[in-house]
Amino acid sequence: MARRYETVYIFDPALEDPAINEKLEKFHAQLTKDGKSSITNVAHWGKRTLAFPIKKKDSGHYVVAQFEAAATLLPEYERAVKLDEGVLRFLVVASEGLPAKPEAPAAVVATEEEELEEDEA
Amino acid sequence: MRRPAKTCPVCESGVRVLDYKDDRTLGRFLTERGKILPSRLSGMCARHQRQLATAIKRARQLALLPYVKGYTG
Repeated sequence: MARRYETVYIFDPALEDPAINEKLEKFHAQLTKDGKSSITNVAHWGKRTLAFPIKKKDSGHYVVAQFEAAATLLPEYERAVKLDEGVLRFLVVASEGLPAKPEAPAAVVATEEEELEEDEA
Repeated sequence: MRRPAKTCPVCESGVRVLDYKDDRTLGRFLTERGKILPSRLSGMCARHQRQLATAIKRARQLALLPYVKGYTG
C-alpha cells in the first residue's frame, strides 16, 4: 500500500546544482521503479547555514521531496541515500497530516511573549 | 484567586499540525540554551506540546535547530 512520505536531504555545499539533481533523480528512480509510486513535489531551499557542523561542513544544500510510495521500497532507497557521500544527512518521515506543500511557513503566533513572563510566579 | 485560563498559542493561531521544517516558529519555544520549553511556560495544550517536542527533535536532526545553543565545539 502506498503511503505519503517526505524526505529532507542535506547535500554537501560544494556540490553544484546539476550534480544534486542527478543524485536526486538516481534516488527517486529507486522509489518509482515499481511504476505505481510517484514523486509529488521537490523543493530546493538552497544553501543554508547549519545549526551545528555536520561532517565538518557549516552549511548545506537543503532539498525537500514529497512522494507516495509502497513501504517495501523504502529500505533499499534509504540504503542508497545513506551510501552517497554527497549527502550530509537526510530524514524520511511519513507525512500524513503534515501540510501538503513544502515551505508553507505557518504564521504562528506573536502573542505569547508577554504570557511567558507572568508565569512561574 | 484563579488566573484566567491560558490558551494554547498553536490552537489559537488555527494551525492544526506543527511543521518540523519551520524552524523560525519552533525556535520560539526553546530556552536560551536550546532546551524545549515546558508546557507550563509555553502555554501549549497537551496535544500540541507533544507535537512540538517531536517537531523540535526532528528539526535538530536536520540541523535546523541546535541541540545546545551557544555551544562551540
